[in-house]
Amino acid sequence: MNMLGNKKSRSRNPAVVSRNISTVRRNQASTRQASSKNNVGHTSAQVAQKSREHAPDYMILVLALILIAAGAIIGYTNSPGLTEVRGLPGDFYTKKQFIATGIGLVAFAITARMKIETWKILVKPIAITAIVVALAVRLFGTPIYGAYRWLDVAGISVQAAEVIKFALVIWLSYFIYDRKKHGDLFEKDQLKKVAIISAATVFVVAGLQSDLGSAAVMVAMIFSALFIAGLPMKYIMYSAVGVVVAGALAILPSAYRLQRVETFLNPTADCQDAGYQVCQALISVGSGGAVGRGLGRSVQAYGYLPEALSDSIFAIIAENTGFLGAAFVLLVFLELFRRLHKIAVASPDTYSRYLVYMILIWLASQTMINIGAMIGLLPLKGITLPLISFGGTSIIFVLAALGICFKISRSTDLRAAQMKELQEGSGTTAKRTTQSERTSQRRVYRSI
Amino acid sequence: MHIVYVFFILFVLVAIGRLFYLQIIKHDYYKSQANASQFRSYEIPAERGQILFENNGELLPLVLNERTYTVVSDPLIISDKDATATKLSEILGKDKGEIYDALDDDTVRYQVLARGVNADIKDAVELAMREGEIEATFAEATSKRVYPYETLASTTLGFVDDEREGRYGLEQALNEELSGTPGRVKALTDQNGIPLLASGDNVSVEPIDGQDIVTTLDPTMQKQVELLLEKGVKNANSDFGDVVVLEANTGKIRAMASYPSYDPSKFREVEDTYQFINSAVARPLEPGSVIKTLTVAAALEEGVVYDGQTYFDPSFYVVDGYTIRNVEEDGGAATRSIEDILSFSLNTGATWLLMQMGGGELNERGRLVWEDYMDNKYMFGQTTGVEQGFEETGITPDARNGDALNLRYANSSFGQGMTVTPLQMASALATAVNGGTYYQPTLVEGYVSSDGEYTQKQPEVKLDGIFSEDTSNTLVQYMITTLSNNSYTRPALRDGYKIGGKTGTAEVANPAGGYYTDRYNGTYVGFVGFDKPEYIIMTRVNEPNIGGYAGTTAASPIFVDVAKLLTDELSAVDGE
Repeated sequence: MNMLGNKKSRSRNPAVVSRNISTVRRNQASTRQASSKNNVGHTSAQVAQKSREHAPDYMILVLALILIAAGAIIGYTNSPGLTEVRGLPGDFYTKKQFIATGIGLVAFAITARMKIETWKILVKPIAITAIVVALAVRLFGTPIYGAYRWLDVAGISVQAAEVIKFALVIWLSYFIYDRKKHGDLFEKDQLKKVAIISAATVFVVAGLQSDLGSAAVMVAMIFSALFIAGLPMKYIMYSAVGVVVAGALAILPSAYRLQRVETFLNPTADCQDAGYQVCQALISVGSGGAVGRGLGRSVQAYGYLPEALSDSIFAIIAENTGFLGAAFVLLVFLELFRRLHKIAVASPDTYSRYLVYMILIWLASQTMINIGAMIGLLPLKGITLPLISFGGTSIIFVLAALGICFKISRSTDLRAAQMKELQEGSGTTAKRTTQSERTSQRRVYRSI
Repeated sequence: MHIVYVFFILFVLVAIGRLFYLQIIKHDYYKSQANASQFRSYEIPAERGQILFENNGELLPLVLNERTYTVVSDPLIISDKDATATKLSEILGKDKGEIYDALDDDTVRYQVLARGVNADIKDAVELAMREGEIEATFAEATSKRVYPYETLASTTLGFVDDEREGRYGLEQALNEELSGTPGRVKALTDQNGIPLLASGDNVSVEPIDGQDIVTTLDPTMQKQVELLLEKGVKNANSDFGDVVVLEANTGKIRAMASYPSYDPSKFREVEDTYQFINSAVARPLEPGSVIKTLTVAAALEEGVVYDGQTYFDPSFYVVDGYTIRNVEEDGGAATRSIEDILSFSLNTGATWLLMQMGGGELNERGRLVWEDYMDNKYMFGQTTGVEQGFEETGITPDARNGDALNLRYANSSFGQGMTVTPLQMASALATAVNGGTYYQPTLVEGYVSSDGEYTQKQPEVKLDGIFSEDTSNTLVQYMITTLSNNSYTRPALRDGYKIGGKTGTAEVANPAGGYYTDRYNGTYVGFVGFDKPEYIIMTRVNEPNIGGYAGTTAASPIFVDVAKLLTDELSAVDGE
């Protein structure tokens, strides 16, 4: 009973446990796996001890810092030329990003210490804040190319969509948790509620802010939430049709958005006008070659590729550091999301699980949309690459969200996670698991 | 595993595959795409060679370069044209509307806004670019010709136009030597075309500066000759004229002046391009009686007449139904010497010489002899190859084909019905009086390469042995006599010097046929020297409006002035 979370007892066991596991599973030997394997040996009764905390997954922070550093290095090395062209002070971009990273780390530290229960209480205030921000950006924001995205608060520019996405994470996780608890999630009234709130959010973000990228992320989050909650596929299909129709209605009246869609279908047809940014992104990526032009050696950043350090930074990374650097960034993201996924699987309770999943879906879909656009796989959207892109609001809220995951990683049910891994292993090895383990597996199944 | 995570794993795999495709497989394609837009090629202009002259063994500049800047914009990438135009009008001190109009034309990618501006304006333009007050505007370094001697020899030197091309005169003829080879920079640039200096990919070819030309012109002489020419042309109420001072024994042109001229630093203000023309090489004329010197030399050299010979001159000949008469001096039918042909400027005498070349009558044999002299010994009907733009050839009649050939040839024996440039005339006379060597007339003493090495050019002999010393000496003596017999030219005589010459008063051909009865060109060709002729002086006054014979009253005073200048003031002709 008292062995779980007790470092001494864990360190006493490894030999026995390892032997157990080796008969069950593949013989990998990383320390991280070893520690997970440790717990597999415990009895099912120990699963109940999930509220007890253990060491968090520091790798989340490490990976986040690697990504932030990657962005900062690219920004720092290329910004002398960028700032000079615009007559800005040399540290214009890097200084802002440094401050934002500092605030973001403070936010991380706070959310990493907050009790998960607290978020349930904060749902309403956060939702109201998001609504206020959404309204304020329309009323007081300065339109850039007809899109209301930025709000000046005491001299600091806040990107409204980042606040809204964060709020959506908090609200959606609570909503599906709460409704599931009441067992009425899939009743008409509740679904209507989801539909209305979703439609309103997407309308605000896509329609008023012309931020199709963030709108797509939000749609992904809402659908995933319903999927996670177990909404029958048929409803999801119906809504998908609805979203496509709504999307078409949102896109067709706007020549600007329509052009983007056309550009996606044939990105290099019109390199001078509509396809300009896509072409320039592909040129940046392609001209980087295997190892890149070298840090600070970007040419595309100097006027060719718009938003070089914010939305388009991945293309500049690819140009500076080539295939090696770009693939490295992708793998770091993959590892970060693998860890988030693992935390979600092993979450101590369903609410935490929903939170981590929502965050994972948010960040993963945003990463895919951004990078996909830069390499010509997806239509171009104005959206930041989490943690790497320069842009204060994004980095602060992403770090705050990762803080939540970090907190949850302290109390993951590692045994359950191990079960999950086992269950994903080959059928023959799975057969050799114990009865109690199979019970855990089933539990894990149900909870997903 | 959650579907989003699975999806992400798939995405990472696809993305890495895609990156591999873009960055490894298609790298060359995108690299070339990048280069196509990022690399821009710039020309680094080579410094144009200067024009120098030699003075006591020292090379001094006649035409210099000064570093200036050209302000250019790329209107296509200027988004706020109004702001750029406003600020530029402030910097350049030009009308804003004018600049705005220039920037408003998106079809031009290289709009010149100002030329020849100084470094202060260049700095102001660059500062405004850095401050973001203007867009896509640059100050390109270029150089401007500077003329310390102002208008001196402008028609001979020419000028350099806005495209850095030499126009007219020496600048045009030696444009290639003066221009050098421009260098090139291929640089990675930002979207505004500004080279990224940090880039290691810049490729550059250093420019090779043009050669300096050391001219044969003597600025002091040139200046005086120009003043004398101007005075003479004005006195004669003429619209233009020219003087060539040519070294008889080297072909070097010491002075070549035409009037009117212009200020090469203000060539854009010149309205009539005729002012750019060096008439001494570009405006041939029917030279008139000055040719008789050459006819005499030819006849003497052919041995068909001899010094001291006399003949009966009937004072007119009827040739092909046309009567050839004498114009300037008509003493009636008389016995004449060969010298008299020059001294009295006998058209009939020149015709008689042509007859002697044909064995006593006007015929094809005589015509062929004289044609051979004109075309192959005096080098008429072709450019001399002097270093001048727009040099004309002149025309000599064909000895075999055409109507009234005998009349034409008789006319050509006294300088009608054929045209020459004053420089051709001077070079031909130099050949006749220097013992028979045709020197290539030239304005170039030598070249100084871009690394400072001075290579002197040797006089170029185009033809040799055309005349015997005897023929030359005889002709020189005849011309001295001719000069001293004329009250207009006698003042040029100096004791101990050999100074001789011959007037020409040529009828002006009417383009409608025949000749004007009241329009003449005045010409004079002569030499100045000590033991032998050293300088040939050829002058032409176009259609003077003055009493008397044009050659005598309009052209010979200029010759006299220039001859005096050479003997008295410049000591160009010294006794040694």
